[in-house]
Amino acid sequence: MNTGCKQCMEAYTERQKLLYEIGKIDFVLKELNLYLDTHPYDQQAMASFRQYNTLKNKLVKDYTEQYGPLVLSCVDMDSREWKWAIQDWPWEGGYN
Amino acid sequence: MWNYEKRLQYPVKITQTNPQIAQVIISQYGGPDGELAASMRYLAQRYTMPYNTVTGLLTDIGTEELAHFEMICAIVYQLTKNLTPEQIKESGFDKYYVDHTLALWPQAAGGIPFNACEFQSKGDVITDLTEDMAAEQKARTTYDNILRLVKDPDVCDPIRFLRAREIVHFQRFGEALRIAQENLDSRNFYAFNPEFDT
Repeated sequence: MNTGCKQCMEAYTERQKLLYEIGKIDFVLKELNLYLDTHPYDQQAMASFRQYNTLKNKLVKDYTEQYGPLVLSCVDMDSREWKWAIQDWPWEGGYN
Repeated sequence: MWNYEKRLQYPVKITQTNPQIAQVIISQYGGPDGELAASMRYLAQRYTMPYNTVTGLLTDIGTEELAHFEMICAIVYQLTKNLTPEQIKESGFDKYYVDHTLALWPQAAGGIPFNACEFQSKGDVITDLTEDMAAEQKARTTYDNILRLVKDPDVCDPIRFLRAREIVHFQRFGEALRIAQENLDSRNFYAFNPEFDT
C-alpha cells in the first residue's frame, strides 16, 4: 500500500482502511516514543504523545467493535465467539 | 513482559509469488544483520545498562525489531505461498524447501542458520552502543542491496519502510551514545566501563 495514494486506497475494504489509520497513528506514537527516550523532558513531544495515544485508543475500540480484537486489553465481551483466535492473522495478504 | 498487537507495523500485501527473491529477503530474518539479531542484541544489552533512558531506548527499539522480523516473515511467507514442486525446483528454492517445506526458519540467504554470534552483548556501554549504531548501518546496507535486486513494488514498499527505520534507529542510538558519554564521570576521562569499573 502506498501512503496517500487515493487510487490504491480505493481497492481496500473499510476494515483495511481503518487498520491503516491505526497503523499511521501508531507510527507517530512509535516515533514519539523513541524520541522521548532520548529527550525525556520535551513537553511538546509528551503532549503530542498523549494526544495521539487517546486517538489510537479510540480507533482501536472502534475497530474492535466493528471487526474484532487487535489487542487482548480491548476485546468485545458481547461476542459469543473468541474472535482473537478465529479470525485471520496479520501475515495473510488480505489482512493489512 | 510483552503484549501482542494483531497487525503488522506496516502493511505487507504481495500478489506475485517469487521464491527466488524470498531466499534473498530471508537474510533479514535470520542473517548476520537481520531483524532477529537486532532485537536479541538490544534486548540482551538492557540488563546491565546503567542509564535508564538508554535502557528505555534498547527496550523500545528491541521491541520494534520484533515487529520488523514479523514483517520480513510475512514477505517471505507471501512470496512462497502455494508454490508447485516445479516452481520450487526451477527457482532453486528446493534446498530450503527440503528441510522446512514452506515454513519460516531463521537463516541467512546463503543457508547459514541464525546464530547468537551474529551480535554482541559486551557489558560496556560505549562498546555496545557503538555496535548498535554499526548494526543499524549494516541492516540499512542490506536493505539497499535487496532493493537493487527487487523490482516488484509490492515487495519494495515494505522493504523501503524497514530501510527508513534503520536510519531513525541509528540517529536515536547516536543520541544514546551522547547521553552515555555525558553521564560518564568527568574524572573518568578515558571512559572506563561504567557497567563495571565505576
